[in-house]
Amino acid sequence: MVLLRQAGLRLWGALILLTMLAGCVTNPARDGFAPGGEAAGGTVIAPRRGTSAAVLDLLERARAASRRGELHKAEALLERAIRIEPKNPVLWHYMAKVHLHRGRARRAAGLAARSNSLAGDDATLRADNWRIIAHARQAMGDPAGARAAQARAAQLAGDR
Amino acid sequence: MARKVTRKKRRKTGGRQSSPRRKSTARRRHARGDGGRFRRWFRQVPWKKLFAGLAVLLVLYVGYLDYRIRSQFEGKRWALPAHVYARPLELREDFPLPAARFERELELLGYRLAYDTREPGTYNRQHRRFRLHTRGFAFWDDDEPARQVEVRFHDGRVDALIDVETQRALSLLRLDPMYIGGIYPDQHEDRLLIRLDEAPEVLVRGLIAVEDRRFYEHWGVNPSAIARALWANLRAGATVQGGSTLTQQLVKNFFLSNARTLWRKGNEAIMAVLLELHYDKDEILEAYLNEVYLGQQGKRAIHGFGLAARFYFDRPLAQLDNAELATLIALVQGPALYDPRRHPQRLRKRRDLVLNILAEQGVLSRAAAREAMAQNLSVVRRPSRGITPYPAFMDMVRRQLRQSYAKRDLTSEGLRIFTTLDPLVQSDVEDALRKQLRRLDRARGLGGKLEGAALVTSTTGGELLAAVGGREVRFAGFNRALDARRQVGSLVKPVVYLTALMERPGTTLVSPVSDTPIRIQGPNGDIWSPQNYNKVSHGVVPLYVALTRSYNQATVRLGMQVGVDRVVAMLRRLGLPRDVPAYPALLLGSQTLSPLEVTQIYQTFAAEGFRSPVTAIREVLTAEGEPLQRYPLDVAPAVDPLQVRILNSALREVMRHGTGANAVNWFPDAAGFAGKTGTTNDLRDSWFAGFGREHLMVVWLGADDNRSIGLTGASGALAVWSDAMARMGGPPLDPLGGEQLVLRWVEPVSGRRVGASCPEAAQLAFLPGTEPQEAGRCPSREDADWTERAMDWLRGLLD
Repeated sequence: MVLLRQAGLRLWGALILLTMLAGCVTNPARDGFAPGGEAAGGTVIAPRRGTSAAVLDLLERARAASRRGELHKAEALLERAIRIEPKNPVLWHYMAKVHLHRGRARRAAGLAARSNSLAGDDATLRADNWRIIAHARQAMGDPAGARAAQARAAQLAGDR
Repeated sequence: MARKVTRKKRRKTGGRQSSPRRKSTARRRHARGDGGRFRRWFRQVPWKKLFAGLAVLLVLYVGYLDYRIRSQFEGKRWALPAHVYARPLELREDFPLPAARFERELELLGYRLAYDTREPGTYNRQHRRFRLHTRGFAFWDDDEPARQVEVRFHDGRVDALIDVETQRALSLLRLDPMYIGGIYPDQHEDRLLIRLDEAPEVLVRGLIAVEDRRFYEHWGVNPSAIARALWANLRAGATVQGGSTLTQQLVKNFFLSNARTLWRKGNEAIMAVLLELHYDKDEILEAYLNEVYLGQQGKRAIHGFGLAARFYFDRPLAQLDNAELATLIALVQGPALYDPRRHPQRLRKRRDLVLNILAEQGVLSRAAAREAMAQNLSVVRRPSRGITPYPAFMDMVRRQLRQSYAKRDLTSEGLRIFTTLDPLVQSDVEDALRKQLRRLDRARGLGGKLEGAALVTSTTGGELLAAVGGREVRFAGFNRALDARRQVGSLVKPVVYLTALMERPGTTLVSPVSDTPIRIQGPNGDIWSPQNYNKVSHGVVPLYVALTRSYNQATVRLGMQVGVDRVVAMLRRLGLPRDVPAYPALLLGSQTLSPLEVTQIYQTFAAEGFRSPVTAIREVLTAEGEPLQRYPLDVAPAVDPLQVRILNSALREVMRHGTGANAVNWFPDAAGFAGKTGTTNDLRDSWFAGFGREHLMVVWLGADDNRSIGLTGASGALAVWSDAMARMGGPPLDPLGGEQLVLRWVEPVSGRRVGASCPEAAQLAFLPGTEPQEAGRCPSREDADWTERAMDWLRGLLD
């Protein structure tokens, strides 16, 4: 457990470092799905209205697990939430974040894209998903792709 | 040491001197008669040597017995198979689940109907109101306590979920997951191993009370019990009582012979003492629970209480009640003598005797024993054959595990594997496949040769919910769902159309495509000129019509325009895990694929362009419950989601006016789903792949010897699919979403816009700006496609 937590923090540290190196890549929103040490800024993505009590309960538990650094538990709890509401884009977004923090860039980008495909015209959520994709691309060694994603995020944030 | 050597030497020299002495003894023999002769002989025998020799032999023999018993014990002890569980049912308010389905889940889990629900694993029902006492389960991510809850249903949904004790609403309730089998070593050890701490207390204490009361005190043998048994047997003039300890019985079971010779008994006693020297009581008891012989099914011996519970009661050991546990204890004495299927009266008498002993010894209360005695034997008439009721699914689990684990770990480390199997969906698929296969087999006069396979996944993340590998659903033979590679026919067509939509700029679902004879020259000069199924060419038709009615000539024309290699590349993008050759015939599905591979491809359609590997496992835990590996939700963008939504709008049309339209006969809601039929040359294979919002199901029908089965995708596999989907009751697709796409109602002759009220109209999706502008006229049924309808009519006669 301790090992996992340390790994999570280390990866997160590495991501922050990458972010600083990249310069232009801003952080995704702060909504509890980070093990701590997140840079300030950005908006908070809240669960949508109409989210069921069961899913809100799971989200609360996932957030608590995430705060304790038990990201694998947070991941499992979010999966349960997604099984209950598979078309809820916010859940996919949270899941993308957890994977990003766990250092699984490819998966995080896939999940953020899935969230986008369900997000409709929610520009805030889409912008934040693009930020995740930017981070993931940066981590995968694709700075040009990261910049493009960041531009999408900025454009969507501007549209808002 | 030195002294010993000298003594030996002296003895040797004595030996050499013996011949002169013999003379004198011979003389004495005459003088003193026979008694003296014996004494002389007695003195002559080299006793010390003899004893030393015997002692050496004995030590060697005991050493040999020790080696044998230890290797037996070790060999069995460390083989702790992986335990495999189904998905836990997760209840919450508003969860779509009819009350009858919920009750079926409780039955599968072995919950018992009971007036009061004081004990975990019991429930009662009044109409749509259930009260149950859950068993609780230590999930790794969260502990689920055992508790009493009330579950109310309304209109096919969970209406309320209330904790009885606190009278508060529960937001979530996870039932315990169903145990679906173990993963065993290759030598096909047919055993359901249990651990001592998993064994019901009544069983363990009861066994000791009935078979070996001093188990925790003796050294492997119990002389007073042997004496008592001997006395009882002498008085009765036959063997009526055994004096063997559990340890001796275990030794006997290890070597499987029933000869009651004294030599054997002696060996057993020695080995029992040896076992006790090496292992502690609990280890011996655990081995006993797994080793004891409890029945016979033909050539198959039933060893251990885990398997016996399955064999006699078709339930896991942990779910048996007191009467059933007493029955198993009763069987230890003689599984043949007390065979419940042959001598139920005899067994019942012995079970009641056992229950009396349990009450006397304080294992059960008097009242509980009385209650158990009032029960029938409740042994199932036909034992299940295998060690898992879901062989095709378990096969998938095993293969997925082998990618990351050595076989040895799987069969010996006691891993706990949590899978994605949904037992309710699984039984829906089994029932539908069985019923429809029987019907179709009879209708086509196939004499039982018609085979089938089916897979169901969740559209969300590719979780495998159900798998059936053949018409004998419980039989672990050839797993057609995974291993039967068959030509897919028209199932491949959506891939061709998607490639065209994506790679030919300006292509839409109403682009004109020519369904006219086409000739393609192969590299060796062969000419290929594909025909339509009904041998009729339809001229220029809108693209979606060619897809939904599965026109071959139009599809080949389109595929040749985009390039067969592009279609192959698309197959790979969608999730086909291997390369296939790019021949033109591929455009009509000459390629052989397994139902699993087809599922993988259609999964990407159902998930709107996101690819998830079909997976049967959620997580693997160690025997101690620590997470070892998770298989997290994995979605990768594979194809532009908008283009897949456009394609899916045409696949919905298949169910409304296309080749899947017959589904409504079994499944009234079918029009809200999307799918595609597949038929191969000479009607050898009948396929259907279709999905709603939650479930994707792929069905294949055919014969193992590849003979014609006389079924198209629509007349065969579609029936199984619709029947199963109707049972599952999963939701249809969401109404076509408007955002980023434009929806239009179009008519099938020219693809022009018409009103939604036009009976032949199809609602299709377009990228903004590519939608048809020109208004058309709603065609009459005759214009729509008279040739096709005539052929349908003709086909109806042939069906």
